[in-house]
Amino acid sequence: MPLPPVVRERGRLVAGGAAVGSVAAPILVVGLVVVVGVGPLAAAETAFAFGGLWFGLALLGWAGSVASGRAIEAAQERLDVGSGWTERRSRRAMARIGGFGAGMMLVAPVIGTAVG
Amino acid sequence: MFPKRFVLKRLLLLVPVLIGVATLVFSILHLSPGDPALTIAGERASQEFVERIRADLGLNDPIWVQYIDFLGNVVRFDFGESYVINRNTTVREIMANTLPVTLELALYGQLFGILFGIPLGVLSAVKQDTLTDHGTRVGALAGISVPIFWSGPLLILLFAQVLGVLPTSGRISSTFSVSPIRVTGMVTIDTLLAGEWDMFKSAVRHMLLPSLVIGVYSMALISRMMRSSMLEVVRQDYMRTARAKGQGAKITVLKHGFRNALIPVVTIIGIQFGGLLGGAVLTETVFAIGGIGTLLVEAIEVGDYPIVQGTVLTFAFLFTLVNLVVDITYSYLDPRIQQ
Repeated sequence: MPLPPVVRERGRLVAGGAAVGSVAAPILVVGLVVVVGVGPLAAAETAFAFGGLWFGLALLGWAGSVASGRAIEAAQERLDVGSGWTERRSRRAMARIGGFGAGMMLVAPVIGTAVG
Repeated sequence: MFPKRFVLKRLLLLVPVLIGVATLVFSILHLSPGDPALTIAGERASQEFVERIRADLGLNDPIWVQYIDFLGNVVRFDFGESYVINRNTTVREIMANTLPVTLELALYGQLFGILFGIPLGVLSAVKQDTLTDHGTRVGALAGISVPIFWSGPLLILLFAQVLGVLPTSGRISSTFSVSPIRVTGMVTIDTLLAGEWDMFKSAVRHMLLPSLVIGVYSMALISRMMRSSMLEVVRQDYMRTARAKGQGAKITVLKHGFRNALIPVVTIIGIQFGGLLGGAVLTETVFAIGGIGTLLVEAIEVGDYPIVQGTVLTFAFLFTLVNLVVDITYSYLDPRIQQ
């Protein structure tokens, strides 16, 4: 059964971010091992925590956009101080960032288990 | 009618907010330098002892395992035991003692801000460009500009040292040999419930200055917001219609203007509550009141991670809960918001 277009669109956003995150995680691990000189497991753990930062931030941003986005949009419009910020674009951006963080958080344990 | 769907949607939003805060706090603490096991054991402890503590705390597990465990514990509101500040005591117990102190302070501060800010804002708008309006605006500007760490000691100096009418620190006079029976943990309410009038009077006197200090900023912000919101509302057509129909000025303002002008003010009150919790950290320090703010600062200084995680998540939970109440309140004030 095909997924509804809304779910597909949102899934694509998160998956796109996750794909970038899953590529960024090994790059960060290699960078930490080579440049900083930490062990591979410690580097994978740092990558996980780093991904957690993005994931946590995106969750908060997404929830904030859903909760107050329309009010902020209306206030900007009413005060004539519009910066082009919209609730929809904010939610989409947060979905991408959250996907990026989640991607890092999912790949880092795989790297850690492989090297640890 | 109770806006069930609206409230349910808002309640569901609490889940990503709390997971987001929990994940952020966990990640920041793990990225920051320092070894909790070494903090507990002390600098002179043997390596074996440090390793044993690390194993006991589960710090030898990979970070992803710790994260899953941590999220599971957050759901049960279990942050484990304090590493340094109050060893062998659970964070939940420690917070049960300190949270009511901060809540009491923030609630009285908020109450002070609302009770004085709203009438002052209305008065200022109704008497626009008069001496009353100018005085209120200057007062509000001063209230927003003066920092707590300056106004606190200054008020102590005036009311306690010069006039000698109010106590400088603590929550209740030390002359009472017994503590009030603990029901809520808030001294003013507990003494009132117990019918201990002398203790109640003492608790209120001790709470006056800190509430004033913390509430002045809130009052100033609310009165400014109320003024501008009221000024906008009094220019609306329906206000003119009400006046044209022969309704008195006071009734028009209170019956038609007040409710509509209150909507943005209620939003500010909710957002302001987070500021009050933050301000409580400084106020607690100035007035030597041991609340959750002081606890958080101390925990960060000594690296007591479970307390840091517990307090930050509690702050986040309280803040989102207050904003939920605000959302419900203004959905009542303006039912269009429920759409």
